[in-house]
Amino acid sequence: MPRVRFTPFGRTIECAEGEPILSAALSQGYFLRYGCRHGGCGTCKVLVTDGDVDDTGSSFALTHGERSAGWTLVCSSRPLSDCVIDLSAMSLTEEEFLAGDQIEAFDTVIERVTDLTPTIRGVTLRLVNPPQMRFTAGQFVNVEVPGTDNVRAFSMANAPSANSEIELIVRVFPGGHFSEYLKYAEKGQRVRVFGPVGSLRVRLSYRKIIMIAGGSGMAPMLSMLADLAQKKDRRPVTVFFGARTSEELYYVDRLKALCDLSARAEFVPVVEGPGEAWDGERGLVTDAIARRMGSLKGYDAYLCGPPPMVEAARELVVRLGVREANVYFDAFVPTGVLERA
Amino acid sequence: MPFTLEQIHDKTKSYDWPFTVGDSRPKQPTRYIIPPKGKDPFRMLVRDYMKMEAEKDDRTHGFLDAAIRMRTTENADPRLMEVMKLTLPDFTIAEFEAVSAAGGIIASVQNQEIRQGYQAQMMDEIRHTQLETALRHYYVKHWEDPAGYDIGQKALYELPAGLVGVSAFLHFNTGDPIDCVMHLNVVLETAYTNILVVAVPQIAVANGESALASTFLSIQSDEARHMANGYGTLMAVLQDENNIPDCNRALERYFWINHRQLDALVGHQAEYGATVRPWCYRDQWEEWVGDDFVSSYMERLTDFGLQVPERVPKVAEDVTWLHHTTAMALAIIWPLNFWRSPIQGPKDFGWFEANYPGWYDVYGKFWEAHAQMAEPESGQIMMQQLPSLPPLCQVCQLPCIMPRPDSPETRIFDYNGSRIAVCSEGCEWVFRNWPVAYSGRKQFWSLYHGRDLADVILDLGLVREDGKTLVGQPGIDLKRMWTIDDIRRLNYEVKDPLQS
Repeated sequence: MPRVRFTPFGRTIECAEGEPILSAALSQGYFLRYGCRHGGCGTCKVLVTDGDVDDTGSSFALTHGERSAGWTLVCSSRPLSDCVIDLSAMSLTEEEFLAGDQIEAFDTVIERVTDLTPTIRGVTLRLVNPPQMRFTAGQFVNVEVPGTDNVRAFSMANAPSANSEIELIVRVFPGGHFSEYLKYAEKGQRVRVFGPVGSLRVRLSYRKIIMIAGGSGMAPMLSMLADLAQKKDRRPVTVFFGARTSEELYYVDRLKALCDLSARAEFVPVVEGPGEAWDGERGLVTDAIARRMGSLKGYDAYLCGPPPMVEAARELVVRLGVREANVYFDAFVPTGVLERA
Repeated sequence: MPFTLEQIHDKTKSYDWPFTVGDSRPKQPTRYIIPPKGKDPFRMLVRDYMKMEAEKDDRTHGFLDAAIRMRTTENADPRLMEVMKLTLPDFTIAEFEAVSAAGGIIASVQNQEIRQGYQAQMMDEIRHTQLETALRHYYVKHWEDPAGYDIGQKALYELPAGLVGVSAFLHFNTGDPIDCVMHLNVVLETAYTNILVVAVPQIAVANGESALASTFLSIQSDEARHMANGYGTLMAVLQDENNIPDCNRALERYFWINHRQLDALVGHQAEYGATVRPWCYRDQWEEWVGDDFVSSYMERLTDFGLQVPERVPKVAEDVTWLHHTTAMALAIIWPLNFWRSPIQGPKDFGWFEANYPGWYDVYGKFWEAHAQMAEPESGQIMMQQLPSLPPLCQVCQLPCIMPRPDSPETRIFDYNGSRIAVCSEGCEWVFRNWPVAYSGRKQFWSLYHGRDLADVILDLGLVREDGKTLVGQPGIDLKRMWTIDDIRRLNYEVKDPLQS
């Protein structure tokens, strides 16, 4: 049974055959930061300083450079030999590490489900027990699909100040467990959520901000924009929202209103599909950014959406001058995608 | 009933005992309200700390012994060794002022835990001055051209290049002791710690000098303690919301000043005092000051009311150019320096342009012209080509051509009957808010207004042992070094730009 030693805390765990390092650590009473638990969000990124791990499960949230430098995601990595893992990047205190799993379970009830577009639903859950959730704009929760053991990760779209509810934006996948459940979901039905998790948040910085979202990835941006507005943050923000067709765009008025709260914010919706009546930006969201922004030197970039969009946007913003360290993202990878990979 | 040794030890480490030794009245009054209990994560007795530090000293001095036998300076890059004639005494003056700063806190606050932390720091700073002086002594004896290493500490107080550092580090022991902590422990030793004591040794090693790295890494090992002192003090004063406006004002002031002086001097050493440049100064700053200090350290403190200084975006903009302009200015006034200025050539131009696009258009032609005038036979110096000397900023002492010579942000105004020049809006803000701290400073140029440059050089003692050859030179590999006679032939008269 391979042993994994965690530095700088000097504690060792044993991993059963095929058991992910994160699961083993949590079950043996240690806490590591984690989010989606299926290699999609990058919250549990750590450095393997000795030994080998099988990290084929964590496909997206690591760059090639990070992977070759020894970084891995503990939620989806399994040790192949005795390993040493440096947890410094998680910024955990010893107290937090030794305290065990700190992700809280919340009982909620459905307040409303709204069709935002043909493929996107808005879901508002009212917190019952505990009645409030303290979270940071940009974080997400793992939602238990009622009647199953499965969980799905969704970012909060509301501002942290409105903490008696959580507002989620859900992309509907035909045959998807949660999508199927939502078809018949009714107000008052109970749903358990676990969180808050994830490390996406607006970093304190002197740089300007570019936000790039696609699909349901606008959720954390809405939360972060509302939070920035409430805090009267003075940084200039440019928000790009990409969709295949104009009917796939949602909350356009809400986004415009949030941007109107600050004289230094701009909202740019981008529609990919040709042929329809649309007088805004056209093409891939990355094309629109390249056209409008020129240099992005001196920017922080926040990305959220489907993996191909996030990957393309990440490459683009770095090419235009954003430092790699200042690109922050969540990629919404449906669990099935990784299971199939 | 007598106490057991264990009880005495526990009591000592509890730091809840009253202050009974000496005069308990603060020597330097503070306007901050300081709670009686503070946070010192180290909680180590001075006695135990001393043992640890003595061991570190032994190892560093042991390395210097070995360095002599290994003749490490023979492999050192001359650019590094020459510019270090300015940088090393700058470090030492900073350490020296920090000794005083720590003493100021100890004598001024009634908080045992904070006092304990600064006791350790005061000893560290003394240790650092000793280590740096020993290193300088090693260079005086073993570097191929010791001229300048021998007079560096004195020269700092007398020459334009030195006044930048002197005026920077005076803040550590002037004014309110908590303001001093803000500059020394929070800005310099936290925000700039890696730039100073990680990157500088890295550059030294990359350029063939390991004795400096050994000394500086020993110094660096103490910096975590100093950061903890800053953090502990800050957390203590932030407990009282009445202190928050003063904390933010102090941070605004010292972040700006520190940027002006440190980014100019250290960036100059990192890129102009090196042939091998491991990474560009701008990137160091982005990572260590921008990401680690602003986005990480400060993020944790904003919940307590601390705010990111308003001028951080301006600092981030200027940090791209400030040290290039400083290098240019120092090369222009080379006769008033105490090192040989490294001439930058085509290979350097390529590196600068790759890392700072647009660099050549601003600085390239200058360095080409400077190279043309490097040999004494050229019969000219760059100072003669200027329409006038730039005034030195009343606050940061940098020449008023910042951030770039093609777009200076100089401001000149009258204050109490004197003409005052500052290099920027930030320095004017500092001056207007704390005029007493800065208005008494004399312009270096005014001291020598109307005098021949040769007489100025002699007055400042900037000639070598032969009584003729200058200490400062415009290049390292000159066919012949400049003498006082070469300068005398120029008939160059120093003119104070604020008088003329």
